[in-house]
Parts: sequence; structure tokens; C-alpha cells
Amino acid sequence: MVVGPVAFMALAALLFCIGLFGALSKKSAVLVLMCLELMTNAVNINLVALSRFLTPSSLAGQFAAAFIMVVAAAEIGLGLALVLALYKARRTVELDRLDRLKG
Amino acid sequence: MAWVLLIALLPALAFAAMAPMSRAVRNRMQWLPLTAMSGSLVLSFAAFVEVWRAGLGEEPVWEAAVKLAELGGNPLEVGLRIDAITAVMLLVVTIVGLCVQVYSLGYMHKDERRGWYFAVLSLFSAAMLLLVLAGDFLLLYMSWEVMGLCSYLLIGFWHEEEGPRSASIKAFLTTRVGDVGFALGLAVMWATAGTFGFGAVARFNWGAGAGLAAASAVALLLLFGAMGKSAQVPLHVWLPDAMAGPTPASALIHAATMVAAGVYLVIRAMPIFIASSHENLHAVITIGVITAVVGGLLAVVQHDIKKLLAYSTISQLGFMFVALGAGSTGAALFHLVTHAFFKSLLFLGAGVIIHATHTQDIREMGGLRRALPWTTTTFTIGALALAGLPGLSGFFSKDEILVALVNIPDAYRYGLWEKWVLVGLMLFAAGLTAFYMTRLWIRVFGDNACSLARESHKKMLVPMAVLAAISVVIGWTQPAFLTFLGHEAAWPDPLMAGLSVAVFAIGVGGGWLVYGRQVVDTEVIKARFPYAYGMLANKLYFDLTYSELLVRPFHELAGWLSRFDQRRVDGVVNGAASWWDDFAGLLWAGDIRVIDGAVNGLGSLVKRAGARVREIEVGRVQVYQQLAYAGLLIVLLVVLLLPWLRVLLGLLVPMLRGA
Repeated sequence: MVVGPVAFMALAALLFCIGLFGALSKKSAVLVLMCLELMTNAVNINLVALSRFLTPSSLAGQFAAAFIMVVAAAEIGLGLALVLALYKARRTVELDRLDRLKG
Repeated sequence: MAWVLLIALLPALAFAAMAPMSRAVRNRMQWLPLTAMSGSLVLSFAAFVEVWRAGLGEEPVWEAAVKLAELGGNPLEVGLRIDAITAVMLLVVTIVGLCVQVYSLGYMHKDERRGWYFAVLSLFSAAMLLLVLAGDFLLLYMSWEVMGLCSYLLIGFWHEEEGPRSASIKAFLTTRVGDVGFALGLAVMWATAGTFGFGAVARFNWGAGAGLAAASAVALLLLFGAMGKSAQVPLHVWLPDAMAGPTPASALIHAATMVAAGVYLVIRAMPIFIASSHENLHAVITIGVITAVVGGLLAVVQHDIKKLLAYSTISQLGFMFVALGAGSTGAALFHLVTHAFFKSLLFLGAGVIIHATHTQDIREMGGLRRALPWTTTTFTIGALALAGLPGLSGFFSKDEILVALVNIPDAYRYGLWEKWVLVGLMLFAAGLTAFYMTRLWIRVFGDNACSLARESHKKMLVPMAVLAAISVVIGWTQPAFLTFLGHEAAWPDPLMAGLSVAVFAIGVGGGWLVYGRQVVDTEVIKARFPYAYGMLANKLYFDLTYSELLVRPFHELAGWLSRFDQRRVDGVVNGAASWWDDFAGLLWAGDIRVIDGAVNGLGSLVKRAGARVREIEVGRVQVYQQLAYAGLLIVLLVVLLLPWLRVLLGLLVPMLRGA
């Protein structure tokens, strides 16, 4: 059985949707960060898969994915630091209760 | 002799100086009117001497007039005139006035408004002096009215109480009724004769027919004015009530001077009476006789010492009118003078008695002759002079009136029978005088009731002594007095003197028997003649008649008008007001509902919309994200579905058209 680009894109879409659902619905800030990672990785899968199937000669997609991983690692570090700071300030990381933006 | 103006001016200036002062200062200024009055007295003596030397009788010694204006070609003048009548009146007014003022120093010394009392007394003196100085009816009328004002002020001097207040209004209104007659008389006089001067009016030829009718009108209207001021029946009702004022003021105003002004007016108007018709003099004499008898009868049943004296005054004024009606101005003036002295003396004595006993009811008095020896002596002299004891002044002047009545000129057309009826009635009135004065004396000084009353201060006794001395002496001046006036000098006529002595004896004896020896019980008499006593006790129903006939309808009319005012006039005003109120309410409601409603509605719309919109602003980042994605989804759907929609519409529209 040949695995084509469509299968990869479907997987990526599935991952993205799971990540999006989690990012929009999870209570815990840590889980939201994890879901954001899922969405980032769905994008990465798309980049790598499309680069492999459409332009096999160049590795532009793979390189971009590698960059994104680095940026995501930095981003998740920053995000966890924010979560810690948030916990220190509010004694909670539940996003339900962070409603000070309410007018 | 222009300085005679000072006689009236000095008291007027005293009043003008005192009027603007504060009460405290004014109360310390009593010496001012006294000084002014003393000055007037000295000047009056000087004027009297001048007139005496000139010896012109009723012809003016000096005259002066100021032209005020020119009306219809006639000069309107007011002026002064000095003749024998004026000279006598000046002396009477200043002597009695000064005595009363000195007496008032004692009588009023505790009153907190004594300064004002003295000021008004001074104004009154000024008006009375100007009245007798006046050379024409106009100036006489002016000072007449000022006196009326002063009388009103002094009767109502203690206006904190209801009695003096209503008495002052009654006096003012009743004399005003007469004054209207006086004013109308002046109008007719001006319209016919074109002058007000005494001399000019006396010389005026009224002619016959209409002119004579006008003269009669003037005479009767002036008589009506005099009746009001001199308390003649039926306008006498104010004088007894006027006794609510301070007693010395009653002595000066309501016994000696102001009430005599009516007599003085008729004396001055006598030429008009004589020129017009003897019928007018019949009217004068009729009023005089009725007043003399009615006043005497009412005095008999009075219990209030001052009211008794007031009715006596009314009666004596009636005597003067009888003299006038008999055409004898000399007798009228002489009785006016003697009466002024002894009646003011009696009032001053009554003041001391009221001070000492704190009551005016003679039934509560008695035995005062031991406690008040000075007052008893002077009061007795006054009472005897009034009753007509031979040798005292009242005897002479009353006798003169009777003589004038007997010798009434034939021109007045009295039958013998009528004449003697008049004389008989006058003798009856004279007997009544002796009777009620005896009753008064016995009630006040007689009996042996022990009294703790104390004699008053010398300030009050000295003026009484002076007046008593004058009352004793002045009768003997009768021939000189008449000569001075330019009339025929006369001593009392033996027949009339005998009759009046007999009447005096009967009156005093009767009074002594009834009230001294008590041979008949007055209660028995009252019980036997309840109708007659009721008539007298109710003042012959004069007051009742006026109150029922005039005062009550007037009050009812006033009440009706007031109700009309409240219901109709106020109704219209209130109706208009309530209409405007309704209209304004409508505008207000419109304002609230429409304009405020629009503004508030807009506000609440925005507010409600805001509240709705706020609901999605929950403040949670995830919700915002959800919304953002939902929005994105919608945009995507629209973008993706739009071509399909076009296709769908392209298919549907022709189908619908075709159908």
C-alpha cells in the first residue's frame, strides 16, 4: 500500500483539530500549551510531507520544520515560565478563573 | 395782631417736635406741651385784653386771610379772625387745657405711652385753638377734622383692650356721619355764596326763593354736623362710649372743648339761620330740648361714674342748643364757658375717684368724703354748679338760657302755649340735673362705708382747685360777659331765678329722699315700672336700633361680599389658576414622557444593548479564541459556499420565472 500526501495531510489536519480543540477547551494552562505543541507539529508534518512529495530535490520543508521545532522549544520554555509566573501570582493555572479581562 | 397765630402754633409745634421722637425720649418731654400751652395761655390773655380794650363785641378786632386759589372767579381764602367770641373761647380752651395737662402729669405718670398721650393732647389743643381762631368755615372744618382724629386717638389710647378700640371707631364713625353733613353744607355754601368767611357769609344776601332754600340747606347741614360733634340726639351714642379713653382726655375733649365745637359752629352760622327761616331754629330748639331731657333721663339710671357724667354733658349741650334755637348766642356761649369749667372739674374729680377706688361703678363706692377731702370739696362745688345752686356758675348760665327761651323773639312764631311747654321741659331737665347729681354725690361720697382710698398727688389736686375757683366766680361775670359780646347786660330774671331755684330744690330734695333717706326703695320703683326702667337702662334703644338697623346689616353685607369674593371672584381666579395648573401638568407630562422619554429611551437602549454585548465579554482568553475561530469559520464557509450559492441561484431564478 502506497502512502500518499493525502494521508499525511489528513493526519496533520486531525492533529491540528485535536490541538485546536484542546487549546480552546482545556482548563489547565499546561494542557493548552501541550495542545499548542500538537498544532505546531501538525504544521511540521505538513511541511515535511509536502516538501518530500512535491519538491524531493530540495529540503526546504525539512529545514523549515527543524527551525520551527527550535522556535517551538523556545516558545514552550517561555510558555512554561509564564505558567509558573502565573501560578505565583494567582495561585492557579486554571484558565477558567483567569477572567480579569472581563469588562 | 398776627401773633395770635402763635396761640395755635405753639401746641402744634410741640406735637411736631414730639411726634418723631422715640418712646423713651418722648416720655421725658412732657414739659414741652406744658410750656407750649402756658405760652398759649399767656398769649390768649393778651388777645383777650386787646379785644376787651377795643370793645367791638362780635365785630372782628383783627382779620387776616391767605388766598389759596381762585375757583370760578371767587377767591378761596382761609384766614383768622379775632372777636369777642374767639377771645372767650381761647381763654376757655387754654385754661382748661393747661389744667388738664398738669393733672395728666399725675394721672398718666405710670403709663408707658404717656409721651404720646401728651403729644396728641397738644395736637388737639392746637386744633381746637385754630378752630376758634379761624375766620372762615373752611379752616374751621379743617381743624374740626383734626380734633376728630385726636378724639379718636385718645378714646382708643388703650387700644390693647377691646372696649376702647371699638369705642374709638364708634366715635369716629358717628361724628363722621355729622361731618358729611357739614361738608355738604360747605359745598352748598360755596356754590351759593361763593365764600367761606364768617363776615362775608353773614353779610351775604341770600335773596328769596331758591337762595333762601339754599340758605336753609346750608343751615340744616351745618346743624347736622354740629349734632354729630356735640352729641345731640340721635347722634349722641358715641359720647358715653368715648369714656373708655383716659379720664383727663375725656375732661378736655368730651366735656369742655371738642363737644362744644358744634355749639360754636352754630354760633358762627347763626346769621345763616336767622337769614333763612325760623323753621330752622325750631329744628335747633327741638333737638336741644329732646337732647336735654333724654340725656338727663339716661344719666339717672347710669352706674358708671364717667358715663353718668357723659350723659350729663349731652344734656347740657342740649341746653346750649336750646339757647341757640332761641336765637341767643350769648346764653349758649355763656353756658358753654361755665359748663367747660365745672364739667371738666367733675371729670378730673371722677379721675381721682377712679384712681383711688379702682372702679367706675358708683354702686361700689361710698364714704369717700373722709378719705378724699380735697376731691370731695372740689367735686361738690362742680356738682352744685352743674345742678344750679344759686351763686355758682351753672345757675347763672342756665337761668340765662331760660330767660332767652321766655323772651324768644316773636319773629320765631311760637305760641304762648308752645313756649311754656318748652320752658317746662327745660325746667324738668334742670331738675333732672339736680336729681342725678345728688344721686351721684350720695352714692360716691355718702354712706358710711369705710374706704381705704387715698388722696391723689398735688399735681392732680391743684388744677381741680383752680377749676373749682373759676366755677364759683365766673357766674358773677354774667353782665360783663354779655356786654363784652356786645349783647344787653342782664342779671338773672327774678321769676326764672325763682323757678330754677325751686326746681333745684326739688331735684336735690328728691335725690336726697330717694338715695339719702331712702324713703322709697329704688328696687321697688324698678319693679313697679319695669317697662320704663327697661327703656332707660337700654339707653332708649338708640344703640340697639343702630346696631340692628345699620351695623348688623352692614356686617351681613360685608359677610355676603366676603363670601361672594371667596366663592365667585376667588373662584374665577382659582379656576384660571387651576386651568393653568392643569395645562402646566400636561406640558410637564409631555416633557417627562416624550422628551425625557426619548432621551432616557435612547440611553436605556444603549445600556441594554451594552448589557447584551457585555455578556460575551467574559474575560477568558479561550472564549475569545473560540469566537475568533467561529468567525473565521463563518468567513471560510461564506467564501467557500459563495460560488455554490451563485450556481444555486442561477438555477433557481429561471425556474421561478418560468413558473
